[in-house]
Amino acid sequence: MKNLRLPKSPKVLLGLGIVGFFILMTVIGPWLAPFNPSATNFAANLTPSAHHWLGTTSLGQDIFSQLLVGARATMVVALVAGLVATVLSVTVGVAAGYLGGFSDDGLSLLSNVFLAIPGLPLLIVIDSYLPVNSRSNSFVIGLIISLTGWAWGARVLRAQTMSLRNRDFVEAARIIGEKRRRIMFSEIAPNLLPVLASSFLFTVLYSIGAYVTLAYIGLTSTAVWNWGTMLYWAQANNAPLSNEWYWFVPPGICIALVGTGLALVNFGIDEFINPRLRAAGLTARQRRKLGLPRRVRLGFTPVLRPVRTPRVAAAPAKLAGQ
Amino acid sequence: MSADTFDIQAVSDPLEPRDSDVVVANERSEFVLEVTNFSVDYGVGDNMVRAVNDVTLHLRRSKVLGIAGESGSGKSTLVYAMTRLLRAPGVISAGDVILNVTNPDNETESTSVNLVTASEKELRKVRWSHVSIVLQSALSALNPVLRVGREFDEVLKTHRPDMSKVQRRSRAAELLAMVGLNEDRLVRFPHELSGGQRQRIMIALALALDPDLVIMDEPTTALDVVTQREIISELHHLRSRFGFAMIFITHDLSLLVELADEIVVMYAGEIVERAGARELYDAPRHPYTLGLLNSFPPLHGQRRELTGIPGSPPDLSDLPQGCNFYPRCPFRMARCEHEAPALTSIENADRGVACWLHSPDSPIAVPVELSRTANPARNSAPAERSRS
Amino acid sequence: MTDATLSPSVLSARHLTRHFTTRVPGRFLNAKRVVRAVDDVSLDLFEGRVTAVVGESGSGKSVLARMLARIVTPTSGELVLEGTPIPVRSKRTLDYAAMVQLVLQDPYASVNPVHRIRHALERPLLIHGANKSDVEEQAKTALARVSLEPPERFLDRYAHELSGGQLQRVSIARALCVKPDVLLADEPISMLDVSVRLGILNLLRGLCDSEHLAILYITHDIASARYIADETIVMYAGQIVERSHGTTLVDEPTHPYTQLLISSVPDPSDPTSQDPTKSEHATFAVADVGCRFAPRCPSAMDVCRVEDPPDFIVGEGHTSHCWLHASEPRAAVEMALPQRRREGEPTTT
Repeated sequence: MKNLRLPKSPKVLLGLGIVGFFILMTVIGPWLAPFNPSATNFAANLTPSAHHWLGTTSLGQDIFSQLLVGARATMVVALVAGLVATVLSVTVGVAAGYLGGFSDDGLSLLSNVFLAIPGLPLLIVIDSYLPVNSRSNSFVIGLIISLTGWAWGARVLRAQTMSLRNRDFVEAARIIGEKRRRIMFSEIAPNLLPVLASSFLFTVLYSIGAYVTLAYIGLTSTAVWNWGTMLYWAQANNAPLSNEWYWFVPPGICIALVGTGLALVNFGIDEFINPRLRAAGLTARQRRKLGLPRRVRLGFTPVLRPVRTPRVAAAPAKLAGQ
Repeated sequence: MSADTFDIQAVSDPLEPRDSDVVVANERSEFVLEVTNFSVDYGVGDNMVRAVNDVTLHLRRSKVLGIAGESGSGKSTLVYAMTRLLRAPGVISAGDVILNVTNPDNETESTSVNLVTASEKELRKVRWSHVSIVLQSALSALNPVLRVGREFDEVLKTHRPDMSKVQRRSRAAELLAMVGLNEDRLVRFPHELSGGQRQRIMIALALALDPDLVIMDEPTTALDVVTQREIISELHHLRSRFGFAMIFITHDLSLLVELADEIVVMYAGEIVERAGARELYDAPRHPYTLGLLNSFPPLHGQRRELTGIPGSPPDLSDLPQGCNFYPRCPFRMARCEHEAPALTSIENADRGVACWLHSPDSPIAVPVELSRTANPARNSAPAERSRS
Repeated sequence: MTDATLSPSVLSARHLTRHFTTRVPGRFLNAKRVVRAVDDVSLDLFEGRVTAVVGESGSGKSVLARMLARIVTPTSGELVLEGTPIPVRSKRTLDYAAMVQLVLQDPYASVNPVHRIRHALERPLLIHGANKSDVEEQAKTALARVSLEPPERFLDRYAHELSGGQLQRVSIARALCVKPDVLLADEPISMLDVSVRLGILNLLRGLCDSEHLAILYITHDIASARYIADETIVMYAGQIVERSHGTTLVDEPTHPYTQLLISSVPDPSDPTSQDPTKSEHATFAVADVGCRFAPRCPSAMDVCRVEDPPDFIVGEGHTSHCWLHASEPRAAVEMALPQRRREGEPTTT
């Protein structure tokens, strides 16, 4: 893979930081949790205190522990769903775009059907057919969520593949005798990495939303803690009405933060995947420092002027050795 | 070279009115364009790449200047920056570009405008009416959703607001006729026309306001050779009729020899040789020019093996310490590796070359190929290599 | 150019034709227009010889190359590879790919930007049966053959780190990896810097001589064709209008289009310059009936507008597709050039 350099944009770094933090929480969250999230032996409805950082629920459970433990299921399901959906969308999208003809027609029909069917109702229907013990399995939930999330990516990838199909290097691969499957997945697909990465992130975002919604409606097993289940219980116990903000606001914020982090990372995707796109351009701060106008308008190339003779030699120096 | 060693004051905000260097000369200047010590960079600070380095050139009225070079030479960057059309992250880092435009009311007078310091208002006034540009790819330069006639209409409306619609239409037809196109082309869209026709339209647009200077950036590169010949011939006629000066950029040196009065050869952002067209062809003085001339297989004469220039075009972000051409030069000396030669006049005021071989204290004599005075027949060469 | 003891052609095209049907916009149903991109082209490629095809865009030369490479199916005609006819409707086999390779015009687009150069060379080797353990060595050998030395330096680079000339050499090396007998080059130098072009031309010529390849060199630049060709063919609007051994037709062009082409090339060594008429040539006008070049031809006669001329022999190994030479003998219907024959074998037509 190409050498990846750390992006300089503050937006992207922030996004990476947020996502990284939550991934960390996924890994060590349950270990850090002070109490068993299901344990009901505490006093109920406590407000946040030193002992219970986020207070307790109506059943006497520690909310902070629930949050930490719940991170794992939420993130794992989202990541699994994102991965499976991305694999599906690559396979279908690239094949449809490259093969054309009847294969394209068939695969496009398939993705259009999945696009047209409303995701959430489909999820609910599929979920209701699951045996009860499967509902607690994060992977299974992730799989069914991915079923509703792959179609959009497939369409985008198909369009990209169609434009790549006629590029010279694809023709060259055909000329040397490369098999079709290898051309699709070894030559074309790697060129789709920026789109893929972006699609993956969006799918993860979508999956979190879907999972939380499923949990909130109560369709997932309550034995597994996740942020959606917390919201479910909070709603069921009238937490919003009783102003128990410490119950439903933290999971809500976490969900929103993860989403924001993913979106910010998406902004910078092109930058770290493709080193050639990285700027000869300048950030706003650099511009200001040099006295250049904030926006360079086409047709008015900016001019740098030294006001006094610079300390460096007057003739523009050669670039070697800088 | 960080930005901190300079005290930079940008003279670039186009919205602030400035005192520009506008001087009304009493007598019309002999030069239509004077570029002095012009440098253009991409980016600033640590990642800066110098695309044009300290270029000085002068163009007399009604003359044709040819700029020859390959990728990395900076030839296109030079002219786009000169007209302030260079896209970000390009910045002009030094120099002046003085355009001496003929007063429309009095042909014996000219006004000087420094394009580098001019305000937005002045640039707009000067653009197209005094200096116009023909881009390389007409297909991308013409608006694909506008009919050709509309392009002419827009240009004329903007710069000659007093013309009526009928007058504009007839002027457009006149311009098309000038470049040998039928009036019915006005209703066509660009994609309906051939490459040659589109390029003629670009030329007609460029001449719409009778400018002093027309810049052409590789206008015939994408065209076939027969169409190219027609367009060049068209340009000859137009020049003799209207008398505009022309800057013609191309990598095809043989074309320039026919077309230009003076040729400037650029390499890695600098001018390496400057001479009259015929002189340059018959008697090149810079090793790069010689190499370039020898890179065109001849149409006539004995077939013999040519070598072109070994190596690859320069990487502007990693230029050698001394002469830029050092890595590829067949005549290089020790001095060339550490010291960059400056463009100096030799033989006469109009000839210049940037090469240590021609300096008075050069340790070796100038090689035969770079000191001839006339072009020997190109077929007096080693015997044709044998074929199996 | 002797005939004796030379092998028969490696790859021959017989009456290759490729038509495209397009819909004419703005007209009612069934309004179709047939574009004859390549029309009845026959040529032979011989071992150790460079055949140059010169033509402008729209002349059909690229379609011809792709038909020879079998990535475009001809509408009609026949291909003969080393004496064996290939049915044009059949699928392109790996064996054919191992014998006939094509190098494309744009070096920057020909190499996959996400993979290292190593990948571009190893794939053809592996596909055509090299052992995994040998592959690196063979890739290095291929790079050395195209003068990219030291090969190790290039194997791990990415396409964007190489210059156009270097990339084109990589493309050629990739084609050589399968050890073909025929190398087709579609305008291999037109997108390169001028100073680099000769290097590639010399490389092609060198490979032809040292590896006994049959090379088809397609270009719009007749001067570069003259530089390396053993046989020169000029195409216009899908047809071959003139062909000759060596570069005879450049020195003595007989077809009006060839003459126009040559006089249009900027040639500072020749002070007489042509001054074409000012008015726009209807460059699109290719006649459907009669000689294709007639609308633009300064010497067009009545017969030219009515009937497409045959090929006439105007010199040793030199034919011209033009009624101006009607007094000359007609070229053989099968092919314009006498087929090379082994010593003792009877001549075939």
